[in-house]
Amino acid sequence: MANHMFCDGVARRDFLKVGALAGAGFSLADYMALAHAGELKDNAKGKAAIFVRLAGGPSHMDTFDLKPNAPDTHRGEFKEIKTNVPGVRFSEHLPKLAKCADKFAILRGVSHTLAAHALGTTYLATGNRPLPSIQFPSYGSVVSKLKEAPKDIPPYVSIPRDINNTTGFLGLEYGPFETGGSPRANRRMDVRGLTLRGITLEDVERRQNMLQRYDNAFASLGSSDQTVAGMDKFSQRAYDMIRSNRTRDAFDLTKESAAITRNFDDQSFSQSCLLATRLVEAGSKFVTIQLGGWDTHNDNWNRLKTRNLPALDAGLAGLFNTLEDKGLLGSTTVFVTGEFGRTPKINQRTGRDHYPRAMFCLLAGGGIQGGQVVGESDAKGEGPKDRKITPDDVAATFYHTLGINHRQEFHTPTGRPVMITRYGNVIRELV
Amino acid sequence: MRTTLCALLVGLLPALAVSPVFAKPVGELKTPSQRYASADTTEEVSFRRHVIPLFSRAGCSGRECHGAFAGQGGFSLSLFGYDFDKDHKEIVADEADGIRVELDSPTDSLILLKPTMQERHKGKERIKLGSWEYNLVLKWIKDGAKIDVKETGAFGRLEILPKEIVFSKANQEVQLKVLCHWEDGTVEDVTQLTRFRTNDESVAEVSDTGVVKSLSGGDTHIVAFYDNGVQPIPVMLPVSEKVGDRFPKITTNTKIDELVVNKLRKVGIIPSELCTDLEFLRRVTLDMTGTLPSPEEVKAFQANPSANKRTAKIEELLERDTYAAWWATKLNDFTGNNAQQIGDRYYRNEQSRQWYDWVRARIAKNEPYDKMVAGIVLATSRQGNQSYLDYARQMSTYYKKSNPRDFSKRETMPHYWSRRNIRKPEEKALSFAHAFLGVQIQCAQCHKHPFDQWTQQDFNQFQAFFTGIQYGNRTDIKEDVNYRTMSAQIEKDIGYDRKKTESRRKLQNEIKKRVSMGRPVPWQELYVRKTAARKPNNRKKKTNTGSSRVLTPKILGGDEVHLTEYPDPRAPLMEWMRSKENPYFARAFVNRVWANYFGRGIVEPADDMNLANPPSNGELLDYLADGFVENGYDMKWLHKTIASSDTYQRSWRPNDTNKLDEKNFSKMKLRRLPAEVVADAINMAVAGEKRVEKFVEDMEERMIGPMLTGGNNGRANYALSLFGKPVRLTNCDCERTSDPTLLQTLYTRNDYDMLGKIDSNSGKSMSWIGELRKQTAPDRKLVSKFASIASLKKRVKQFETRQAGYQRTRDKVKSEQQKKRYGQQVKSMQKQIDRTQKQINDLEKERRAHAEANKLDTDDLIEQTFLRTVSRPPTKNELTMAREDIAGAKTQLDGVRDLLWAMLNTKEFIINH
Repeated sequence: MANHMFCDGVARRDFLKVGALAGAGFSLADYMALAHAGELKDNAKGKAAIFVRLAGGPSHMDTFDLKPNAPDTHRGEFKEIKTNVPGVRFSEHLPKLAKCADKFAILRGVSHTLAAHALGTTYLATGNRPLPSIQFPSYGSVVSKLKEAPKDIPPYVSIPRDINNTTGFLGLEYGPFETGGSPRANRRMDVRGLTLRGITLEDVERRQNMLQRYDNAFASLGSSDQTVAGMDKFSQRAYDMIRSNRTRDAFDLTKESAAITRNFDDQSFSQSCLLATRLVEAGSKFVTIQLGGWDTHNDNWNRLKTRNLPALDAGLAGLFNTLEDKGLLGSTTVFVTGEFGRTPKINQRTGRDHYPRAMFCLLAGGGIQGGQVVGESDAKGEGPKDRKITPDDVAATFYHTLGINHRQEFHTPTGRPVMITRYGNVIRELV
Repeated sequence: MRTTLCALLVGLLPALAVSPVFAKPVGELKTPSQRYASADTTEEVSFRRHVIPLFSRAGCSGRECHGAFAGQGGFSLSLFGYDFDKDHKEIVADEADGIRVELDSPTDSLILLKPTMQERHKGKERIKLGSWEYNLVLKWIKDGAKIDVKETGAFGRLEILPKEIVFSKANQEVQLKVLCHWEDGTVEDVTQLTRFRTNDESVAEVSDTGVVKSLSGGDTHIVAFYDNGVQPIPVMLPVSEKVGDRFPKITTNTKIDELVVNKLRKVGIIPSELCTDLEFLRRVTLDMTGTLPSPEEVKAFQANPSANKRTAKIEELLERDTYAAWWATKLNDFTGNNAQQIGDRYYRNEQSRQWYDWVRARIAKNEPYDKMVAGIVLATSRQGNQSYLDYARQMSTYYKKSNPRDFSKRETMPHYWSRRNIRKPEEKALSFAHAFLGVQIQCAQCHKHPFDQWTQQDFNQFQAFFTGIQYGNRTDIKEDVNYRTMSAQIEKDIGYDRKKTESRRKLQNEIKKRVSMGRPVPWQELYVRKTAARKPNNRKKKTNTGSSRVLTPKILGGDEVHLTEYPDPRAPLMEWMRSKENPYFARAFVNRVWANYFGRGIVEPADDMNLANPPSNGELLDYLADGFVENGYDMKWLHKTIASSDTYQRSWRPNDTNKLDEKNFSKMKLRRLPAEVVADAINMAVAGEKRVEKFVEDMEERMIGPMLTGGNNGRANYALSLFGKPVRLTNCDCERTSDPTLLQTLYTRNDYDMLGKIDSNSGKSMSWIGELRKQTAPDRKLVSKFASIASLKKRVKQFETRQAGYQRTRDKVKSEQQKKRYGQQVKSMQKQIDRTQKQINDLEKERRAHAEANKLDTDDLIEQTFLRTVSRPPTKNELTMAREDIAGAKTQLDGVRDLLWAMLNTKEFIINH
């Protein structure tokens, strides 16, 4: 037996059995793998994470990686400004972020080769180059599998939804709650499945009472049947969650103090950032937020300075400051990324096209050393200068801050052992 | 102890099959530990037969050790030890990391120093110094560390003794013996070189040395792995006393029942009783047609006195559109119909729909399964000797606006092969093996399959069948009109400029316009590249890693095929699948259909047939597969045979002997409904009367129907993805899942989509509750009449205020005359108040009378609610409870709505039982 445990493949049926037994999500096989590798770490700083997806691929050259000395064909019209960290400079249209640049780290010269939206997004959302033979789980699925949230709090929330999200081989159980819409300033937010729409708490209680009386066809089985036992477990948890004041309050932005609300503007991205902090505060383990509109093939600068950059500036600065104000920055890792950068060479429509060879990412909180720039792109922003940072490395670092060993293995339903991110290495300057 | 027990078992249990070889004195075959007991052994050592299996069993070639892709510590062995040339080279000729054998001084060989920890070894001690294992490797080095001649490697078969183990109590032990029969006639005892595995560690465990120990009641297999042999043997410990003659007499009405009960008799499991008529009706209607029985159907079935009604119902269901719709969806799952992957740029969604319809038409007319599969496997875009132009012309007729040609009438369906995710031959091979053979061969893509006989060579030879199958713009034959000329023409016609986005859109519009008129446009096509073009092209040839070797295609587990005899390389594959001896084709389908009815295959997982994963009841699978073939691949025969058995009609209620049984089909497994079926069942349970009828007729409305993954995002898909509708991207039936999750529960409890459906009161989605509300509401005249109650009440309030005013003035004024005048005013106000109040009272009385007269019969509503959801009338207790619940609600219909909500949220609703 010892040899089997030590070196051989795990059969699909073994996996299924262990998985089913464990039920709560953390399977015995996972535990063994972790224990074996000595990777059960509890001293990690990050307890929860916020993932900000900049959909469309933001131009690195006009945001966090300006090249004031590049030729006209590349440079772009924005100027650099100083930040509160000496030596760190970025776009003039991010003034609020410039005042809190000490709270986050900028990664430059992050590089890959997938120039299509869907592929790039999957890569950056999983830390794995997409393969046709296997679907990798997104960060949120991995984190909500490995980190337990309080019973009445949704562990993994997507605001408003994440079309590219995939639970991959981890299975449906680790999918996100999709809020379905974006929060509005000083309002209560409706969330499908959680919000009471047209019914009151008394209705919920009355119905639950009814349900319990009618739902007894399989009572004789007790908990011996896994399907029945699983449904009973989820039934109780759903009831707890629907009734939970903590959850309801987290989604109710009117409950936020004026001091905090002031950190944000009224736009939906900003308010989503605010909601994310409230969810983490309540106990959620993973929240994704999106800001789209970065696919600027034409009219790049106009669109960036009038719409995207002000929204990003207000939202992210609000997010970092609020996490700090609430005392959550140390325990919450924030990861901001698009799917790729944009062509350093300006195209004929005053725009920039897809460009995966150089992009930027931001990391903050969860023990990340803020106020620094890691990596560097070359003089024209066309690729990493010398050291190439891959999305896998960023993913490995992100997981590391959360106490998750990125080389930990899961088994796919077909029994194949797969590491969380096989090729990534933790970026040491950051942690 | 062990030998006596074995003797005991042999003596006591007739079920313990003993092979003739076992009866011979076993002593004549020496074990490796005997053969290599001394360092001076003269026994020959073979690299393949002894050295590699030894390293494999010692764990050296495991995934976390030297079997890892990058090796370990500079030393890399092939995973699961089957690439003998490479491993040999790695040991004797690895120049880079140092040669690991010292022929001049064998004991100083690294390959011996490391595993014995004479030198630092991260993998710890794997071999003891001076042990037989040590001597074996030492002798091999002394003999020159040679690789074998080809003949040595010809593996015959493994023989495990005993062939079956039946334990009588827990904690008994039996030593297994593994004999390898090589093709050259030698037989070796390789027990000590074999790896063992138990398929269920709760029933029995097996030690490294092959000692099987019983743990608790049940049955499983112990699997032995040696060289290319993977051999399971059945192991069981009866769960009760009731085995053999002590087993109660159970009438078996069908062959299925006989074979299932035969197995149960061995394991001492008594099957559950038959289920009730209504349980049967609900179960079979859901399993066979993906649809709830309608309330009327439930009542009719219950009232039907015929003894034969279950069989009659099965036959009736097989004729329904819903049967064809649901099974077309299942077959589309297995074959991977995903619109986004289909090759055509503009007509993906349409083609995905064509794929579905093509399959559905065949299921509806019960075309033989092999014929339908041949229509997919052997498909090409052109039919017969069509020229490109004729083909392009014909294609457009399938899509033209008026009177389009029916695609499902085509003999072949090419979209399976056109998918972008199976462009490469190896991807085609994986998809093919999964879809039609129920086999997972992806492991063998990179290394020897750990649980089956497949080697990388087998995989490469299998994929060679698919190299000539191409989708795109055909260039291997010369035609005056072809894809390129037609494209050039249409581009010229519109002045196309590929650099401009608008121009691209214009081209697309032009193509769509021409197609809608039925005019030919440049369609891409699925074709088999002419053999001539398959000759290696020297000019283009790249020098990559030896994979450009021309491989002779070889059928999985079969013969090599010389393709020159076949214009289409898929033809011999199809021939092979249709041959009687084919071990996969019929079984894969039979097993999947069985899994649909029982929530578990006879081989489980149903799409993972491999040697180490034997069927839980081999005779049963054989019987069904043979019967299926003998009946001309008649799908309806298969469904009917399965559904008519008592085994399918057993209750889910367990008894003491079968409560833990999961694999012997002694009771019905509780299964959550599949995604599409849940979504449909909810829609049907809440639907207005007329829509309920439409549910069995109009497949366009149905999730089990052509609602494909492509094109339709939106609300419906939220539920479908929540409940695990497969995306059809990976080669695994496990994409469809029936696991319950928290989000599913939140959806049925509280999602606005769900709550909205229950109470919808308008248009197409009119709900039953909505209809009832409309029906019981008074007509418009009465509504406005009753609405006046409110204004009358307001008027009373006004009168009262004025009256109070007069009263106050009356109290204030001094003169009697004035007092009198105001007094009269007070009185007259009172009169007005009284008159209005009477009007109000009369109206309210009328309204109550109307409501009473229009009140629906509560008992009837309760019954409807139960029939709609759990397909049975309420019990007495439930009826009493529901009457109270409804009486306590704000209105009758609010009460019914809450009851409906509760019933939709019961496990009884969402579980097929």
